Amino acid sequence: MKKNRLVLALGLILMALMTVGAQKPIEISFWSLFTGGDGEFFDAMVKAFNESQNEIVMKTDTVKFTNYYTKLTAALSAKNAPDVVVVHQSQLVNYVPNGVFLPLDEYVQKAKIDLSTFSPAPLNSCKFDGKLYAIPLDVHPLVMYYNKDLMAKAGVTKVPETLSELISAAKAIQDKTGAIGIALDNTTATYKAYTLTRMFMSLLMEQNTTILDASNKRANFNNEAGVKAYQALSDMVNKYKLVPKQLDYDSSVSSFKLGKAGFHFNGVWTVGAFESQSGLNFGVVQFPALLGKNAGWTDSHTFAVPVQKTIDPDRIMAVMKFIDWMTQHGEMWAKAGHIPTRTTVYSKPEFKNLPHRAEYADAAKNTFSAPATPKWGELYDAISDSLEESIALNKDAKAALDQLEKKVNDILK
Amino acid sequence: MQSRKPGLYSCSAGFRFFEWRYYYMHLAAHTKRDLILFSAPFLLVYMAFLVFPVVYGIYLSFFDWNILSGKVFVGFRNFVQAFSDEKFKSSFFHTLQFVALSTPILIVVGFLMALISVRPTKLGKTAESIFFLPYMFSTTVVGTLWAWLLQKNFGLVNQLLQAIGLKGVGWLTDPNIAMLSIVMATLWWTAGFNMILFSAGMKQIPDEIYESARLDGAGKFVTLTRITIPLLKDTTLLVVILQIIASFKVFGQVYVMTGGGPYGTTRVLVQYVYETGFNYFKLGYASAMSMILFFVILVISAAQLLSSKDEGQ
Repeated sequence: MKKNRLVLALGLILMALMTVGAQKPIEISFWSLFTGGDGEFFDAMVKAFNESQNEIVMKTDTVKFTNYYTKLTAALSAKNAPDVVVVHQSQLVNYVPNGVFLPLDEYVQKAKIDLSTFSPAPLNSCKFDGKLYAIPLDVHPLVMYYNKDLMAKAGVTKVPETLSELISAAKAIQDKTGAIGIALDNTTATYKAYTLTRMFMSLLMEQNTTILDASNKRANFNNEAGVKAYQALSDMVNKYKLVPKQLDYDSSVSSFKLGKAGFHFNGVWTVGAFESQSGLNFGVVQFPALLGKNAGWTDSHTFAVPVQKTIDPDRIMAVMKFIDWMTQHGEMWAKAGHIPTRTTVYSKPEFKNLPHRAEYADAAKNTFSAPATPKWGELYDAISDSLEESIALNKDAKAALDQLEKKVNDILK
Repeated sequence: MQSRKPGLYSCSAGFRFFEWRYYYMHLAAHTKRDLILFSAPFLLVYMAFLVFPVVYGIYLSFFDWNILSGKVFVGFRNFVQAFSDEKFKSSFFHTLQFVALSTPILIVVGFLMALISVRPTKLGKTAESIFFLPYMFSTTVVGTLWAWLLQKNFGLVNQLLQAIGLKGVGWLTDPNIAMLSIVMATLWWTAGFNMILFSAGMKQIPDEIYESARLDGAGKFVTLTRITIPLLKDTTLLVVILQIIASFKVFGQVYVMTGGGPYGTTRVLVQYVYETGFNYFKLGYASAMSMILFFVILVISAAQLLSSKDEGQ
């Protein structure tokens, strides 16, 4: 009996020593904003990362998207944000000037992350005053979806590349099949009609015009390019009646998903949802060059490192390993529809075997980001509301652009 | 009427404050200590989560602050800005619209519900539960539920309308209808609360009054207009004040159901305050607009309370 106890005690001591001897994995906290469709794929990636090595354990906490930036801002202000966070590229400008994110150049070098394997456009849009403040995981540009079956039924043989081709193809589909010609959300419901702003910005950029002037201080669309861009949008709805009025975002997505719409404009993030719909035979192309060259609005999910009360280089190096791994495994993230940012991913068979992705991978080359001004959030809402109103009330281009210009300049004042 | 005890929800509470102070002064020391000790937990929470934020909000309304940078004192600029801000004006107007549309109907329906539910029958009890049930749901649940029901293309209501050969209505996307849809959802959601207040008031009216009226040959209608309604005056005043305050604070169901759309035609003031504060991070300006709303509600409530006291006593 006594001997047994002695053995047991020795065993316990031995076990305790072994635990101390083995390296304890470092626990890294992070926040992401992915819910719904994207969320599954992101969680799966994090799980795969945790299983791929035994030094780092990533602990997640998904925050509801509508509250994400509120919560993030509060946490950043109190300096108790997690070790790494997911932030939209368009939002970086709200944070970087306030010094709440760490410049990453030094750590990127130490972690030997090869920046030359990143697509230049998304990477450069994470730089402020020459310093890198975030690393892009993806780009998710505006694209055009088309329903192959409806096109065939209506006798449309070519994916439209110009405005007139789009109009006539959509018209043929609407007339011959009874489906919606173009599913484009143009009213606010649970989600604002941001697609209108994204389209408007893209149509401007196709004519080499940015929505704000170079200094981001004034509206830059009350001109010929603006008239053309607005007219193209308004005509789809009011003149050709190819877009149903009062169509909200969810209905726009649902109608295309259910095979009840010929064309659909949206970001790439719905590819995954459309693929899971049985019986939907669709294609995706970059936003067509309706008014000039190819140019599509995009945003990007990036990783940024909040400044902590005390900076622990070991933790930051662990974060760098995580970011490196996540961006190198972009083919897993591409399942959600997003376009990976590392060119090394494009040649992987896992990526090549994904359907549709090759069709719109081009889109990443012809994209542009929202203007880098901290007022963009407010402008985005105001422009979307104003375009929604003008198109709903069928205002002429002059009245619409005058009103829009005033709203934009008032906010920028 | 003189012998009537002050009701559970009597509005005269504010005027009795001085009486209470008189009682308090004559209490024994240990009783006073107990009173304070027992109310301390509540008072602490109340201070931390209500009094402090209110005071801090007043302070903030004189600053420019985006949470991440330092605060900059701007005096009354935020208040001045509000009065030249089109979005503030339109949002304020939409709130007034909601108050005007929702308050009367919520009070009348709450009253009618109370009339049904105070009956000591099984039906009355059942009706009371049914009427009050929606009030227990959170804003998000109510908003999401109604947003789905009223959705233009796939919502249940329009599906039913189309099934009987009618055209679907843009319940939430037609600028002439969206606000009415929100009022409808709010009615379903909160009328039950007014019912509870009214029926509590009705239960305090002594049965003898009804009995003697019946003996005098008064019909149902006369009893209602001559006894129930006049004797519910205090309760009604309370319901009116609470309802107006609640309607001014409308936000959640609008945010979930229409997001302020179509094109901002249902954006209410609290929504704009929320967006300004938490989406555009202009905390000072958002606080200033809240203070304006607070002031408006304060003036309206005080005016109502005072005017009714004048005629009543």
